[in-house]
Amino acid sequence: MTDHHDRSAPPTAAAMRAAWDDAHDFDPRDPLVGLSRADMAGPQIGRRAVLRLMAAAGTLTVAHLLPRGPAMAQGKAGGTLKCGWAGVGQITTLDPAKMNQVLQFQITSNVLSGLTHINAELIAEADLARDWELSADGTEYTFNLREGVTFHNGEPFTADDVIFTYERSKNPAVSIHSRALGNVRGVEKLGSHKVRFKLVGPQASFLVKTTERSSGRVLTILNKTAIEKMGESAHGLMPVGTGPFRITQHVLAQNLTLEKFDKYYDPERPKLDRVIIQPILDAEPLAAAIEAGDIQLIGGGQIAPELIDRLVANKDLVVNIQPSPGFESIWLNPHREPFKVSSFDKPMAELMKEKGFMVRLAIAKAIDRELFIKQAEFGRGTPAHGSVNPAMAFYFDKELGKASLQRFDLAEAKRLMAAAGYPDGKGFPRLKVLLTPPMRRQVEVIRAILKRNIGIELEPVVKDIPVALDEFSTMEWDMVRIGSGGDYDPDDAIVDWMQTSSLFNGQKRDKAKYPFGYFSDKEADALIEEQRVEGNLEKRRALVQKADRITSDKVASAFLYHPATILIHRKQVNFPDASKIPALVDLDRTTLS
Amino acid sequence: MAGYLTRRILGALLVMWAVATLVFFMMRAVPGDPLAAMMFDSGDPAAAEDLRRALGMDVPLVDQYARWLWQLLHGNFGSSIYGSQVPVRQLLAEALPRTLSIAGLSFVVACVIAVPAGIIAAMRKNSPADNALTLVAFLGLSMPDFWFAILLIILFAANLQWLPAIGYSPMSEGFWPWLSHLIMPAIAAGTTFSAIIARMIRSSMIEVLKTDFLRTARSKGLLTWRILLVHALPNALIPVVTVMGIALALMLAGTVVVENVFAIKGLGRTLIEGILNRDYPVVQGAILAVSAIFIGANLVVDVLYTIIDPRIRYS
Repeated sequence: MTDHHDRSAPPTAAAMRAAWDDAHDFDPRDPLVGLSRADMAGPQIGRRAVLRLMAAAGTLTVAHLLPRGPAMAQGKAGGTLKCGWAGVGQITTLDPAKMNQVLQFQITSNVLSGLTHINAELIAEADLARDWELSADGTEYTFNLREGVTFHNGEPFTADDVIFTYERSKNPAVSIHSRALGNVRGVEKLGSHKVRFKLVGPQASFLVKTTERSSGRVLTILNKTAIEKMGESAHGLMPVGTGPFRITQHVLAQNLTLEKFDKYYDPERPKLDRVIIQPILDAEPLAAAIEAGDIQLIGGGQIAPELIDRLVANKDLVVNIQPSPGFESIWLNPHREPFKVSSFDKPMAELMKEKGFMVRLAIAKAIDRELFIKQAEFGRGTPAHGSVNPAMAFYFDKELGKASLQRFDLAEAKRLMAAAGYPDGKGFPRLKVLLTPPMRRQVEVIRAILKRNIGIELEPVVKDIPVALDEFSTMEWDMVRIGSGGDYDPDDAIVDWMQTSSLFNGQKRDKAKYPFGYFSDKEADALIEEQRVEGNLEKRRALVQKADRITSDKVASAFLYHPATILIHRKQVNFPDASKIPALVDLDRTTLS
Repeated sequence: MAGYLTRRILGALLVMWAVATLVFFMMRAVPGDPLAAMMFDSGDPAAAEDLRRALGMDVPLVDQYARWLWQLLHGNFGSSIYGSQVPVRQLLAEALPRTLSIAGLSFVVACVIAVPAGIIAAMRKNSPADNALTLVAFLGLSMPDFWFAILLIILFAANLQWLPAIGYSPMSEGFWPWLSHLIMPAIAAGTTFSAIIARMIRSSMIEVLKTDFLRTARSKGLLTWRILLVHALPNALIPVVTVMGIALALMLAGTVVVENVFAIKGLGRTLIEGILNRDYPVVQGAILAVSAIFIGANLVVDVLYTIIDPRIRYS
């Protein structure tokens, strides 16, 4: 979905046909779809390989064959870009060890580097690593590091910086992401610019989830001298890295100034001289600021959906919309009536006899997702039936919407409610839905849909974010409206949310009262574990999709929608396709006309 | 006077300590664990406990209070719990100039509108001019400041593009950038207070205009402006100064809504965000600053009484 989106001249029909045929030119029985190990090795996976993998997954469309546009934006170098960062009053930290918001790593992705960085296709490509090799058993990654790279403070980048970052990130007293390195046994220095990571077990997502510079966060490379010299607090606001821009000023809640780093390893980037980022909490001032030209680009958090149509209608603005890497859900406490489930480890036929499960499924089936997206999100978003999002095109199951038991079916939802003893919602208790203030509109829409469709009454309970997250962790709720963002790899969705041992599965719950948390299924657990260590992409995709279907059919949660990444800028800003990485705002290729 | 001021300052310190102590314990009684949001992504309760220990939040509340008070006596307000744990002193030092700028200009706007409007309304009591001013004052009082602020943005920033829509520019970057960013916030915040002050001036002036000494002044043939400004206004100012003092204190405590709309983080927004995030040190520091402002404003008003009316003496 794109509004006002300029594309390059389309290729000839013959060229499109040739690319299409080449992508599908493989033996379906070949698990590697005609690709070799070399095709799958670093420093990046080539476009041809990606198209073929997408073709094998059945996700290749004609849109993918259109040229992505020039890698570098057209327009002259130089100038100052003024950005507004939506939905935030101040940037409290830019320390990768402390960041927990997408809007923070959108900034650091312009300042700091990792060993790898994802591209617009969500494929990991080389960043500070020149290339890498994977051992035969999948437990050792050997990275050859880029030489001649300089930190913003003038120090050279070496293997010692990788080891320092690793040591710092695995320390729970310093890093809130230390658990993300749980599968890393250690890192070994093999030379001034060569390191080897030893894993406990194979990890398919290692390059996208662990070494990636923005979403990974645990191995976003920092400089020891800078931290020691500046102190943790000051460095946290103005971290020193090797990225295309360096931070020269950070006035809390007012502005953050990034300036072109002349010694960046790619002499072609960045194009801009300066980027000024201003946090803007409220929706209306943000819209007014871009309309007035006070700011030229909006990054940061989700833009209030009610503003998008107004901005789309403005001929001075470019609004680019693409799938966002995340999912949003309503969670139902399986330990409480009326959707109590004794165990999810049962065949579907048996589960379907449990009244609690009938109610769970009825609620999921009664949500008309298209209507919800239209009313709550003004038509922007993709209906969700699982946690794997469409931004991960290769892993996303396009058939899930038709195949899932959660698909919208009002007659069946009513039948299930009646079978559970609540015909037309009669006798159904008034349930509380825990939510944070930004979710209010969405919950009101869900409330109206469920009231109209199956006659049940929900009571929204709005709590401040610290309270809501604490209560979510303790599982003291009937229902919760919560979701995930920045999911670039299936692990971010199914490992972090859908396993019994998941990060968010009732971290602080009373295990006697809520033994298995919000969801637990042995078969799904095994599939999720298996896909984590599966090196063959096609096999991994099959495992991911199977796990996704189980969690969908068994109603781990009532999945609502996958949000959209909405990038808005004024027309004089040239933001090339290569930079359109879902949920990120990489400005190293951006120019001003 | 010196003795009086000393007593007032000592009393003020006592009040500030009481307020800060009350806030310290009340904030911790409010539901919500500040570490829950911070550590949510880690998925590691042990890491959360490590952080709790590192922040000194694992010891009994009384010990935390004693430690905080001891640090405060040494001029240390502590650090924000969140993110990079910025010192509260830095947060307040960055917020205060913004709040002082908005409050100062808003006060000027309020007075510029209120004083002439109040005097004219009092002089022409029950006339069309008085009724019109009363109506405008009620509109000013009734109009939500966030709505008025958004109207200003749409008109002067989005449509006419005369003024910047949002943000703050410190005086060090030039007078005009500073002023241009503050004109709309000052009008939005000042208009509401101007209505209150105008009504107070009107009623106070009407009372004074009835007095014998003003009849004498008029019978002596003094010029109208001289009667109003030299004789009537100073005598009408005592209750007005009280209201002005309260208004100024309220503005200095942070016009949260206006700060939000114009994306300027002053004292008010610092305090509100601190409360929402359960960022205890920030809330405690901001409350101390706000209570100091209120107490200071009251003291200034009391001293002003003696200047306006030399008959008033404190002992």
